[in-house]
Amino acid sequence: MNKNFFQSSIKDSLFTGIVALALFGPIVGLRTVAVNEALVVQPKWLVVGLIVLVCTVGRFLINIYTFKKEQRRGEASSIGKSITNFLDTKGAQIALGAVIFSVIFPFMPFADRYWMDIAIMMMTYIMLGWGLNIVIGLAGLLDLGYVAFYAVGAYSYALFAIHFGWSFWICLPLAGLFAGLFGILLGFPVLRLRGDYLAIVTLAFGEMIRILLLNWYDLTKGPDGLTGIPRPSFFGLPFKRYPDEGVETFHTFFGLEYSPMQRIIFLYYLILILALITNFFTIKIRKLPVGRAWEALREDEIACKSLGVNPRNTKLTAFAVGAMFGGFAGSFFATRQAFISPESFTFIESAIIVAIVVLGGMGSQTGVVLSTIFLIGLIEVFRDFESYRMVAFGGAMVLIMVFRPKGILATRKPTITMRKEK
Amino acid sequence: MEYFLQQLINGLTLGSVYGLIAIGYTMVYGIIGMINFAHGDIFMVGAFVALISFILFALTSIALPIVLLLTLLIAMVFTACYGWTVEKLAYKPLRKSFRLAPLISALGMSIVLQNYVQAAQGARIKTLQPVIQGGFNFFEDSNFTVTLSYLQIFIVIVTIVLMAIFTLFITRTALGRAQRACEQDRTMTALMGINVDRTISMTFIIGSSLASVAGMMFVMYYGVIDFYIGFLAGIKAFTAAVLGGIGSIPGAMLGGLLIGLIETFWSGYISIEYKDIAAFSTLVIVLIFFPTGFLGKPDIEKV
Amino acid sequence: MRDNLLDVENLSMRFGGLLAIDDLSFSAKKDNITSIIGPNGAGKTTVFNCLTGFYKATSGSMFLNKDNKKLDLKKFSDFKVAQKAGVARTFQNIRLFPQMSVLENMMVAQHNKLMIASGFSILGLVNAPSFLKKEKEAIEISKYWLDIINLTNRADDNAGDLPYGDQRKLEIVRAMCINPQLLCLDEPAAGLNAKESAELNKLLLFIKNEKKTGILLIEHDMSVVMGISDHVVVLNYGKKIFEGTAKETKNSPEVIEAYLGTED
Repeated sequence: MNKNFFQSSIKDSLFTGIVALALFGPIVGLRTVAVNEALVVQPKWLVVGLIVLVCTVGRFLINIYTFKKEQRRGEASSIGKSITNFLDTKGAQIALGAVIFSVIFPFMPFADRYWMDIAIMMMTYIMLGWGLNIVIGLAGLLDLGYVAFYAVGAYSYALFAIHFGWSFWICLPLAGLFAGLFGILLGFPVLRLRGDYLAIVTLAFGEMIRILLLNWYDLTKGPDGLTGIPRPSFFGLPFKRYPDEGVETFHTFFGLEYSPMQRIIFLYYLILILALITNFFTIKIRKLPVGRAWEALREDEIACKSLGVNPRNTKLTAFAVGAMFGGFAGSFFATRQAFISPESFTFIESAIIVAIVVLGGMGSQTGVVLSTIFLIGLIEVFRDFESYRMVAFGGAMVLIMVFRPKGILATRKPTITMRKEK
Repeated sequence: MEYFLQQLINGLTLGSVYGLIAIGYTMVYGIIGMINFAHGDIFMVGAFVALISFILFALTSIALPIVLLLTLLIAMVFTACYGWTVEKLAYKPLRKSFRLAPLISALGMSIVLQNYVQAAQGARIKTLQPVIQGGFNFFEDSNFTVTLSYLQIFIVIVTIVLMAIFTLFITRTALGRAQRACEQDRTMTALMGINVDRTISMTFIIGSSLASVAGMMFVMYYGVIDFYIGFLAGIKAFTAAVLGGIGSIPGAMLGGLLIGLIETFWSGYISIEYKDIAAFSTLVIVLIFFPTGFLGKPDIEKV
Repeated sequence: MRDNLLDVENLSMRFGGLLAIDDLSFSAKKDNITSIIGPNGAGKTTVFNCLTGFYKATSGSMFLNKDNKKLDLKKFSDFKVAQKAGVARTFQNIRLFPQMSVLENMMVAQHNKLMIASGFSILGLVNAPSFLKKEKEAIEISKYWLDIINLTNRADDNAGDLPYGDQRKLEIVRAMCINPQLLCLDEPAAGLNAKESAELNKLLLFIKNEKKTGILLIEHDMSVVMGISDHVVVLNYGKKIFEGTAKETKNSPEVIEAYLGTED
């Protein structure tokens, strides 16, 4: 390590320190607190000092590290590469293992209420991720308002179930259909827009739906939300300790001891099945002409037009199918929570689902699972640090884009091969 | 009539704020062709820096005009640091990546900024005592008094002055020329010996400082801010940029004024609950039917 | 004029103040290779863009003779020109689906008929035998064309990984998969070496003679143009300055002037 380099990296680190001081000085160092209805400033210089120190030293270490790496260039083949290779080639085995694991998961000794809740939440995100993967991953349409379809599904499920008393298995497809219809309605005018404009318009639509839910009090009860959404039953057998007169429950029918976990486990399998349906549907449709056309549109829209592929209809199907699965997931959400309000359908939800799809690797089904575990896990780990967890989440989005812009699983398998046909 | 005049005044004030933010969107879009999703949050950071500065100066006995000038400068400098850093960390490494990558990275950055400010400054709304009070009253004998506050005059004048300085900068200086050259053809500009990275950094610095001024005005005008203001203001300003024709700087200002007017008139005459719907529907309608905006260049599909 | 495949009459295209095509009329016959040549910026690609629906011509008309019916190409918007009228095209800067396999590229070109066969995906989702049969046929067609350009052994590789010359040929046979009446090729020989150019000539002659497909060709490579064209149209500044056989074109003073300028 020569002296010149040493000097320049010291300089660089000091510069980083100064920038860090400018960044964190006012915002972190001068916390505004309300005292007697007037704001005063509470200095927190120690924290700022620590952050600046970490930035400066960190920058210095990075400088040295990259310098050393540059000296060692050519030795290639790092651990990162072998992990990548492993993930890329063993995708199918990982997927199979994951399915088996998720089927036996509820009977694991550690699977208590807390773990089951997390598992159900993750499964919901995986399903949403798989649904959105059709839109973003396959068709290449950046939809930042996916939560709107989730909301439409949840609200239409809740309204059908509350007002008409229809059972889960009627309301679910209806809600999905409704969300899909909504997808077509919203998609029709906007799908000819370019990538980033489309992103913003879908975002706007998502927010409009939320504002509508918030203000259309007669239908949605506004911010109070809808309560009393019927809990799901096991083909007519409710999960209740003390059922109404003459009604057989799940535990009496199967001669089991009553436990609130039975309902949780049922919900878990319900979302697992819904998610797997989404997955198999996607895997299958990807190999059909329409699926290939989605991917072709993502690759080159002009070439598609020159081959007679109708871009609008093709995009619209992707949008509608994605929306439909969003609606299914929304129905599940409504029946699981028994209460929904517009608060559950904010933009940040859309952002999380987009992050799951993109970080997983556009179009990769297994990637969605891995990135859900990573991102939702990250949010869970930071649970006790409320807003830091979203800082970590956003930071992870940036970092993965910078270091692995194609996502965790980047390889794509052809939908059809010649060799097999011979 | 009096009511209309009042809405007009309010709309133009609000429009100035949106216009200043919109310039940042339009400049960044012009030079690197991406929607800087975190720009709204940069504006929010600017508002917080201005708030902190006002609170600190309230403890001193410095004269008001100097306080305003100093706060303006402080907000610009510190917020510019944020713009610069965001570009360096989240966008620069992605310049050659696939087209959606910077947008997603920007989304991540926006989440980071929002939650970081929430963590550092708390989630509760912050109220600032009015800094500039009083104004002119008109039509006092009719049943609706029209008020033109000193604050509104201040906001409009500052906006006009900044716009003038900024236009001179873009059209007359070497850096402005480099900036315009980069918009046309980045590779060629680099071949002419211009430091493209520095020019892009400069764009972010300028855009962020203008957004911080908007933030300062916002906190003075409304007196209430929280960590979430950047999201809505950002979308509205982006709408303004598109309406004016994305890439066009006078267009951004014009679009800002229009959005400000649309929003105030909508709230004044139609429905205040749905006032954000006005902005969103404008955005959707403009993008679908009128994507080149007023002063934008038509975007012919190259085959 | 019954045997004309394509009739372009008084076609004009204006971009703001620029008249890119100025009152252009020409015809192309069936089983013929018609070349459009001219200096850079003469408006050749614009003619293609008007024909294939990417631009809307300012004035004039274009008629395609399909199964003895006269189709007005102006009535078809972008993708419908390929879908309904059967006009296929390639692009100056190759437009394959680079991340998709060679075979997938060929299958996308057969999208419309496969879409119908898959019952708009419903029959496809349940693996209906009728769909599987059609899909197999489509693969056979792909294989037929890939055999011709010697790419069958690379059918499962990404199209973007092919060498440049193979990408050019793949784009042409991909366009042939839509079963076109008229094939419009935009500088297919650009960037090819002498051997590849010769192979290209062979491929184009095969398409013309065996498939009876009319070809419209924009080309700068005179060895290609002169070697295979039945008819040549020369453009300069959007105007037709000459029309005739390859040999006549070679000796035309107007053409030489357009390319080389006048002697002072």
